[in-house]
Amino acid sequence: MSDRKTELLTNLSDAVVEMDADKAVDNARAAVAESVDAYEAIDQGLAHGMERAGRLFEEEEYFIPELLLCSDAMYGGLEILRPHVRIDENEKSGKVIIGVIEGDTHDIGKNLVKIMLETSGFDVVDLGRDVPPAHFVERAREVEADIIAVSTLMTTTMEGMAEVIAVLRRENLRGRFKVIVGGGPISAAFARKIGADGYSPNAASAARLAKTLLREPQEVG
Amino acid sequence: MPHSVTFLPAGRSVDVPSGTTLLEAARLARVALASPCNGAGMCGKCRVKLDGAEDAVFACSTDVAADLRVTVPPALGETSLKVLEHGIGISVPLEPSVAGDYGVVVDIGTTTLVASLVDLRSGAERASAASFNPQAHHAQDVLSRITLAARPQGLALLYGTVTNAIGALLDELAQATGVAREEVREIVYSGNTAMLHLATGTDPASLGKHPYTPKLATPARLIAREHRIRIAADGLIYLPPVTSGFVGADITSGMLAARLGEIKGVSLFIDIGTNGEMVLAVDGDLTATSTAAGPAFEGMNVSCGMRAGDGAIEAVEIGDGDEAVLGVIGGVAPRGICGSGLLDAVGAFVARGIVAGSGRFRDGRRTFELAADVAVTQRDIRQVQLAKGAVRSGLDLLLAHAGISYEAVDRVLIAGSFGFHLRPESLFRLGLLPRAFDGRITFLGNTSKTGGQALLLNASCRARMAELVRRVKVLDLATFPQFQRVFIESLQFAERIPAYV
Repeated sequence: MSDRKTELLTNLSDAVVEMDADKAVDNARAAVAESVDAYEAIDQGLAHGMERAGRLFEEEEYFIPELLLCSDAMYGGLEILRPHVRIDENEKSGKVIIGVIEGDTHDIGKNLVKIMLETSGFDVVDLGRDVPPAHFVERAREVEADIIAVSTLMTTTMEGMAEVIAVLRRENLRGRFKVIVGGGPISAAFARKIGADGYSPNAASAARLAKTLLREPQEVG
Repeated sequence: MPHSVTFLPAGRSVDVPSGTTLLEAARLARVALASPCNGAGMCGKCRVKLDGAEDAVFACSTDVAADLRVTVPPALGETSLKVLEHGIGISVPLEPSVAGDYGVVVDIGTTTLVASLVDLRSGAERASAASFNPQAHHAQDVLSRITLAARPQGLALLYGTVTNAIGALLDELAQATGVAREEVREIVYSGNTAMLHLATGTDPASLGKHPYTPKLATPARLIAREHRIRIAADGLIYLPPVTSGFVGADITSGMLAARLGEIKGVSLFIDIGTNGEMVLAVDGDLTATSTAAGPAFEGMNVSCGMRAGDGAIEAVEIGDGDEAVLGVIGGVAPRGICGSGLLDAVGAFVARGIVAGSGRFRDGRRTFELAADVAVTQRDIRQVQLAKGAVRSGLDLLLAHAGISYEAVDRVLIAGSFGFHLRPESLFRLGLLPRAFDGRITFLGNTSKTGGQALLLNASCRARMAELVRRVKVLDLATFPQFQRVFIESLQFAERIPAYV
């Protein structure tokens, strides 16, 4: 790899971690002008930076505002680079249906997870909040999602998550989708209890969890 | 196939079907097992040891699949709690709605209960008594209690628990004054909407789901003996009107005690707590909202957090050499930190530049040690940010909705036991309240009780409050399009946050 290319990729990654949208845009433009492969610039530059930002968030170094500023920088660079990605390379990591379960309207956590998934290359379909369990399943079928991600902030609506899995089982679809859950009152123990495929304590690790799940061989459900 | 589960050291056994959790089995066997998170697998308080096993398990996450002998560790127990029994009162003409000599107000808090015996002929408080709300043993926070009570056995458990505790307070008042329980003609239940549901055996499930509509009709008068409350034979329970699922009778009492319906100018009434309720009054026009501040203010979900009992650090200042000067409840060695101490500590960190506006320790450290066994961690600071952000964004949106600037707020009235122990300076340092409120803050104390006393003593207050509550406009912050942006900006520790109006 040429020194110049390495420099641009490093700058893109740093721009995201430093929450510097101008720097991200400038370096994305330079990458395009200097014919650096746009896919590489995203994958090894911007997304690399977002992954670092996610780790800082998990280590409590960064908090929600910083994570959002990092994603602003990421999206700034992405806008420049995306049109230059060759079609065959523009494959997504996977498709995720995400929403807040029925009865709950708190969606900031869900929105953070959505950003982290998108910046990791997932195609995300957002169902919003107060989403009935059956609607998750219906939409997941329609868009042929790989993963159903369900969020809640309230203990009173947690049972709706179990219902999503129950609907999948009733319709003999459990093996077709991975189900991941998260939110304030959710724990790994709860996720196991309801038979979810995964739980993540925060937005950054949710993206990693989603990637890990899709790498695993599909089980027969 | 049923299995027999024996709980030690109590030695009580119960037969349960396969798949029953150990926590459910313990409840059936009437074995006290703390479960503040109501079986969500979060709090770790229900740890028990199975016979022959090395490690402890969570009773809530362990299913019974064989005959078992289970050892329950001794409860740590809450030895003491600072309860605020007094508050600013209002004098009302003596026109009680019942004939008789005595009445009682019970402030049914999520954490504590306060009961006050009032002489209906003179209006004087004869005695006051307080205790924990023992429901917390089964489910700590309001939402966990709603979840538990969504099933009939759970509702029966919580209803019985609080009814017994109210009975014990009535006994205590009787003993202290010599006034027999039978001489009490009426009890006012002042508390949040969920607590009123649970104290009357009403299914609270609808409060746990958007749009959080109460099932209980208020105001209402109930026959006390039908609710297992032994007072005069024809004794009544009065339930004050509630504004919404999250703005309850305690706030109605507060609105009355603070005279929000009559007072001229702009008043902001705030009850800072797990569910931070606030009411903006502009020349008698009221708008209310509630904010999900979470448990950090009660010292919960914090590494060295504890309730405001003996050994809790309740006040902190940081000196020039970064040394901590501590106020500890009970004059004993510090064991942990309660909500007010935590806010003081983090406020002092911000003021001294130990913590940046972003909430991060500036010098890369991960913890700040206050005492030998008590430290504030980076994660604790994040918890404070979430709680503070919830209250501040609620306040900003409430004011923005009414088109009112900070400077135009004439008075800030802080109600509740937690608020009473807060220092305004810490609130400003954190940006929990804007510094523009300096000099305009009054701490009202337990207005749930004092407002409840006015409702007990004056029947026309009841009619007036029913009318006022009907007129209160309620804002559902989560549905505001700008809520997320305002909340996230409010996470910063900044004395001045950009205006959103």
